[in-house]
Amino acid sequence: MTPSFSLALTGSGGAGVMTAGQLLLDAAALAGRYGLMARSFGPQIRGGEAAALLRLARRPVECPDDDYDLLVALDWGNIERFADELPLAAGAVIIADPGQGGVPEVIATQAGRIHEIAISQLARDIPGGRPNMVALGIAAALADVPGGAVETRVRQALARHGDESVAAAIACLAAGRAAALEVTGHGDPPSAAPSEDTVDAGAPGPHLDRWVLNGNEATGFGALAAGVRFCAAYPITPATEILEWLAGRLPRVGGRLVQAEDELASINMCIGASFGGVPALTATAGPGLSLMIESLGLAVAAEVPLVVANVMRGGPSTGIPTKSEQTDLNIAVYGLHGEAPHVVVAPTGVGDCAPTAAWAVSLAETLQTPVILLSDQALGQTRTIVDPPGGELARAGRRRYVARHDDSTETYRRYAMTADGISPMSCPGLPGGQYTADGLTHTEHGIPSTRAEDHVGQLDKRRRKLEEYDYGPLWGDLHGAGDIAVITWGSATQPVREACQRAEACGLAVRLVALRLLSPVPASELEAALGGVRACLVVEHNHSGQLYRHLRAWTELPHPTLAWHRPGPLPLRPGEILGALQGLHAQLEAAA
Amino acid sequence: MSAAAVLKPKDYKSATRPVWCPGCGDFGVLNALTKALAGLGLAPEQVAVISGIGCSSRLPAYTSVYGFHGVHGRALPVATGLAVARPELTVIATGGDGDGFSIGGNHFLHACRRNANLTYLIMDNAVYGMTKGQASPTSAPDWAGSKLTPNGPGIAAFRPLEIALSAGAGFIARGFSGDPNGLARQLAEAISYPGFAFLQVLSPCITYRPEQMEYKALVSAGFEPLADRNEAFRRLLTDDGFTTGVLFRAPVAAPAPADARQAAGDEAAALDALAREFTAARLRGDGGYEP
Amino acid sequence: MSPEVHAGASVALFLAHAITLEDEAAERYDELADVMAVHHNEVEALFRRMAGYSRLHRDEAQARAAAEALALPPLRPWEFAWPAPESPESAALEHTHYLMDAHQALSLALAAERQAQAFYRQVAETTADSGVRALATEFAEEEAEHARLLEAWLAQHPPSSASPGDDLDPPVAID
Repeated sequence: MTPSFSLALTGSGGAGVMTAGQLLLDAAALAGRYGLMARSFGPQIRGGEAAALLRLARRPVECPDDDYDLLVALDWGNIERFADELPLAAGAVIIADPGQGGVPEVIATQAGRIHEIAISQLARDIPGGRPNMVALGIAAALADVPGGAVETRVRQALARHGDESVAAAIACLAAGRAAALEVTGHGDPPSAAPSEDTVDAGAPGPHLDRWVLNGNEATGFGALAAGVRFCAAYPITPATEILEWLAGRLPRVGGRLVQAEDELASINMCIGASFGGVPALTATAGPGLSLMIESLGLAVAAEVPLVVANVMRGGPSTGIPTKSEQTDLNIAVYGLHGEAPHVVVAPTGVGDCAPTAAWAVSLAETLQTPVILLSDQALGQTRTIVDPPGGELARAGRRRYVARHDDSTETYRRYAMTADGISPMSCPGLPGGQYTADGLTHTEHGIPSTRAEDHVGQLDKRRRKLEEYDYGPLWGDLHGAGDIAVITWGSATQPVREACQRAEACGLAVRLVALRLLSPVPASELEAALGGVRACLVVEHNHSGQLYRHLRAWTELPHPTLAWHRPGPLPLRPGEILGALQGLHAQLEAAA
Repeated sequence: MSAAAVLKPKDYKSATRPVWCPGCGDFGVLNALTKALAGLGLAPEQVAVISGIGCSSRLPAYTSVYGFHGVHGRALPVATGLAVARPELTVIATGGDGDGFSIGGNHFLHACRRNANLTYLIMDNAVYGMTKGQASPTSAPDWAGSKLTPNGPGIAAFRPLEIALSAGAGFIARGFSGDPNGLARQLAEAISYPGFAFLQVLSPCITYRPEQMEYKALVSAGFEPLADRNEAFRRLLTDDGFTTGVLFRAPVAAPAPADARQAAGDEAAALDALAREFTAARLRGDGGYEP
Repeated sequence: MSPEVHAGASVALFLAHAITLEDEAAERYDELADVMAVHHNEVEALFRRMAGYSRLHRDEAQARAAAEALALPPLRPWEFAWPAPESPESAALEHTHYLMDAHQALSLALAAERQAQAFYRQVAETTADSGVRALATEFAEEEAEHARLLEAWLAQHPPSSASPGDDLDPPVAID
């Protein structure tokens, strides 16, 4: 079990809880901690209720814990909205500002010790003081984040606002820290771990090489590192940060980004750029993916490499754009009309977003096919402290290009039948390589055809290139060796991993298989990984068990294999998965 | 007179035989396109023709340049992606009035605004030919020739030139498939224009709109290139839909999105620098970071 | 060729026009042959034959230019001075139909050959260059000979009773 400390900062109307939360996470990174911060908002574009949800630890953590150890409320505006998301631990500390009225029932009735600190008043007492900086001082003190690290971070972040602002903020931090230690009893943080190994904020060290980023930024970076040099963008929550990140960085490596008029345009712009030989990516979410589906089929048929990073959110329809759900596996794998095999991959955590995005680009380019990368809101928008990727990121190898045709009597066959199904590409600019890419069923030359030989031949070829490719060890991550297994994917991997660790701590060995390659299903690898397993649980964050059904269609799973899944908007938590594992174990014991 | 083109128009045609009906205006457009490419002396491998779905969208396969026959209505985005990613290429989007003005209408508006360096050639016959003759956006509201709209579509006809002008296109022309040489010249001008060039070509459908055989008698070369958008609007007030020529040519192409690309340089160093932006070390203070 | 341009035309300019006229005629006949082949119409062979004749004439004109070691002016397709939108011997695309019979095909070709004849004759009448006049007169006579040949051919293919409008198979949906 990972010792960690979870806290929430809540407030409304420009109270600045997100800034305070992010500064705290950053300071924790400077102090050598790991951790993460998720955000929760009301529906207002500005000034709505907001919660910064943090978890800090001395070992890597990439998912929220079961409950929160600390709640710092700048005010109580619409706190009911967050009640579901804010389960408080037994003995949790609640910091309330008496100037904001009484503690609402939804909080007061949870187990917790309520302490009053006049946050607003403390801020007012300091010229230029702000309540969120007082709250930051409180939270840092109770989460045992060294004051020096917080001060370093705050000084840097506020430098451009001038010395007076910095001085006011530093004074607020001190006032908050002092008040927190006083009301809670002199530096006895309720559940924080001992602080003897805290890195001094001034000391450089390998921890400063860690990355502090969200999965959307990491996805953009992985794509860029792998060779993407064109992006067409249509904004959509929660994917927009991928596009914005790329907009600022593509030009630095000679690439271009175009803001499209809609998703129909963005996917087709990517097809155009990739037809021109330039590796291309677009990012979207469920509604946008739905609009792109027809053209993804075109990319399959015309064999145009590209990557769509789909950052999943609650669905169907507009659903809950700001909340996570692993709900687009079905459409990503099966949404295309006709027989249109392509590749679907998913990163298994924020730290895995860059390597998986790079792999997606490399697969697309190698296999001349669209690749859908299924990220989700939890991965995409949770700012996380992670170790940078070990080893080299995959890079787009040169596409398999045709040699220049000097013999003008031989016309180029773009869709030539080959043993591995991959046909040498051409690219505008290459003399003698002219062809017309076509979404119509075509001959090897690309000429439209309705003949059975061409239709079946090309269907076979496109399936063959995906099925006979050696995807290597990246198909999935394996942990543990128990005879009970959990299969999972995407953002569910992190709470599942933590549940497995807890199970092991209780003497229950569990084998974890986290799939990175979702389609084509790596059936033989999966079956090998499950050798000797007597029972299996498929865990995912959706309403119908999409991965479970997908795997049942393509592979033999151990008997029994149970599906455990539930939809968003609430995040999957390790404790509920541990419960499911223990339930499965008990069932097996009872049957034995 | 110009330098001799090494290649002849027929060198820009492929061996694939068109599926178009004999008498279709699209033959004239194909001839005009190959003449324009020959007249400009463009190397076939440096040219790409991009289309959507429809009779006229079959055109790319009939050329010897690079072609892309995509899905219905999306020729312009594909062409835009190619033109932006490979600015040194000559990119021509083609298709029909249904493809470009109906299912792809939104792309038409934004391509006019975006002003990427490409040519959009619409073969306008005011009918959906490949699905057996339904009314298209440019059909008259009372055209009752389709079983789908037996009393006529009943909605106003799309006016491509006015809309292109409103949306900001820098080069706007109308041509006629029955004048392949004149059309070739217009196309050459459109291709040479440094920005988005729109060319509406009246291209009769002899199968579903046999009355369009009369176009030859109706068209008249009446447009002279205007450089002022307001004057071009005024000129269109008296347009009967059969005036041909270059209507509007913005003297300088509206500024294309700044090409912010840097010289490729050392990509590895650039990527290292980008990775460093993520590090915790950046949070201590070398400036540049804003939460 | 419009009189104002060609009153002072050189032999080289004239031959550039003649070569392109015949070349485009041949290409047009080939284009018509191709489209008739796609539509399973036997008049394909007829158009293919006409293409061959035009190509022969093109080669003759090219041989003249070569014999005189003339440097032909390089003209872009739209820089030729034709009296009509297309070069005179290009058979009219719009007067074709996939069910057209031999009579209609030959009539189409005859009209094209007569246009070519009229073009050459007009050049001969208006040119100030004696060399151009001699060539144009000769080419006009050749076109007249073709026209007579086609007329004789036409006599063997009387018009059929059915018009192209009598189509027992309605058009089909494709895409």
